[in-house]
Amino acid sequence: MRALRLATDTWLLTARSLKVTLREPWAVVPNVAISLFFLLVYNAGLGGIGQLGAFGGMPYLAFILPVALVSGSVGGAGAAGQALIRDLESRYFTKLRLTPVSRTALVVAPVLSGMIQLVAQTVLILLVALGLGLKLPAGPAGAVGVVLLAAGWGLGFAGYAVAVALRSRSGRTAQAATFVFFPLLFLSDTFVPMTLIKAGWLRVAARINPTTYVFDAMRALLSGSVQEAQVLRGVAAILALAAVTLGWAVYTAQRTLRDA
Amino acid sequence: MTEPMTSTDLAVTAQGLRKRYADGKEALGGIDLAVSPGEIYGLLGPNGAGKSTAIQILTTLLVPTAGEARVYGRDVVRSQELVRRDIGVALQETGVDPLLTGVEALELQGRLYGASRMEAAHRARDLSERLELEDFAHRRIAAYSGGMRRRLDLALGLVHRPRILFLDEPTTGLDPLSRNALWDLVRSVRVNEGTTVFLSTQYLEEADTLCDRIAILRAGRIVAEDTPARLKGRMRRDVIELVASDPADSDALCALVDRVVGGASRDREAVRVAVPGGAEAARTLLVAAHDAGIALAGLRVAPPTLDDVFLELTRDAEPDGAAQSEGPPRDRAVGGGS
Repeated sequence: MRALRLATDTWLLTARSLKVTLREPWAVVPNVAISLFFLLVYNAGLGGIGQLGAFGGMPYLAFILPVALVSGSVGGAGAAGQALIRDLESRYFTKLRLTPVSRTALVVAPVLSGMIQLVAQTVLILLVALGLGLKLPAGPAGAVGVVLLAAGWGLGFAGYAVAVALRSRSGRTAQAATFVFFPLLFLSDTFVPMTLIKAGWLRVAARINPTTYVFDAMRALLSGSVQEAQVLRGVAAILALAAVTLGWAVYTAQRTLRDA
Repeated sequence: MTEPMTSTDLAVTAQGLRKRYADGKEALGGIDLAVSPGEIYGLLGPNGAGKSTAIQILTTLLVPTAGEARVYGRDVVRSQELVRRDIGVALQETGVDPLLTGVEALELQGRLYGASRMEAAHRARDLSERLELEDFAHRRIAAYSGGMRRRLDLALGLVHRPRILFLDEPTTGLDPLSRNALWDLVRSVRVNEGTTVFLSTQYLEEADTLCDRIAILRAGRIVAEDTPARLKGRMRRDVIELVASDPADSDALCALVDRVVGGASRDREAVRVAVPGGAEAARTLLVAAHDAGIALAGLRVAPPTLDDVFLELTRDAEPDGAAQSEGPPRDRAVGGGS
């Protein structure tokens, strides 16, 4: 009964969150545009280096696609935090808290609606890449795997975005907090394989940066020979991030929902 | 989670309810409440008196520092979920998503209380009709005027047919027309549904026309509680000021006034007293002074306005005991710190 209640509440609040997002589509457009820009411009400008041996015959389009997907997923996750901030600022959140609605649903719904947006974006970017001539040597399963990785990585960021939103209750702070996205996206084997990275410090940073493992897992799924170990490392990185940030989000939610 | 109902059949009870915020500010200094079902009960006080804090505690948004409060017998701290089912709220601390339409907000509210899609839609239509929101029901809330937002807020609070409705300053910032309309709505809710209403206001007029009983809150304490009629009765005293021609007679005059009507006080040459029906009392006093052979140099009868008395009750300084040496005398209608 309680589980049914949670499911219904989560669905009602998620549907409402999506409905409201669609009413302000311009808020979503920049994020999609930036991701597509990465894909188009990097592929157009750097596409030629794909012929280098270090790429192992992988087309540069397939190599750079995960960068566009991860950037899109981080943005989609940020939407979860923004949705919560909107409700906190309009004080609708307090009104919802005064209904018997499940407390869990209050926090899960914005995350879920962020995830749905993110998956839609990821699929769109994938379709554009296919239009640009992307081949899927691993078949549709590879594409599905890539979408799931993007969603998982986004979920990890959504936890972070929600925790920051609940803590700060300010749109500006939440916006500023998304800047961790820059080092995470670029201190990695973003543009070229690890072996071609010149600076030693950047190689070290890339090894520490969990995004590297997500990139590598996606690339494995987009290449002809799927290496399971690489995919598993990516999944592990996602699980680790999600465990930390979602744990933080739940902890913050319990605290703020109790005494605010 | 089931908790036995207490022996009281009251809608709201509170004993020694205190709230001290983290910054050390004491918003409520221990208040007691007893509100009967079906009553319209008002907390009246200026900004910062603790009205919002009291309402937030009763609606489970804040946890009190000490004391306990119950809504329909259920503890607002230990049985939050059950309390939330019984209460409807329209508080300053809450808002509505401006991107939703009125109907959408009403339907979602209904469904979060467990209504089916059909029931929720029906109830939303019903309420927007009753609160005269139909014309705007399908427009985004962002486009609503202040008065419409309050009506929508009220409708949202009524969706689940609560046993008690909490309204925090329901008409602050509204024009007189919208204010009157909202008052009518609150009355009709009580009449039609028998809903108890607990409201806070800083408007004396609002408390007067709407409430069955009023508690006047000052600096976190209730300084008076009664029906508006009785409060006004107590408040509606006139101030009489007499001055003897010969200052030497002042003491005798004071004693005389005290004997005839009671409660006289001296302020230099003047003798002051607050009494109901000032004009009649003045006549009695004039006759008495004449009979006692005290010649008078001055007489003044002034009725204090309700606002005066309200200010008196809610001003910071404790008027108790202090010899009144400046300004017109103030009648302390009700004892402080009760």
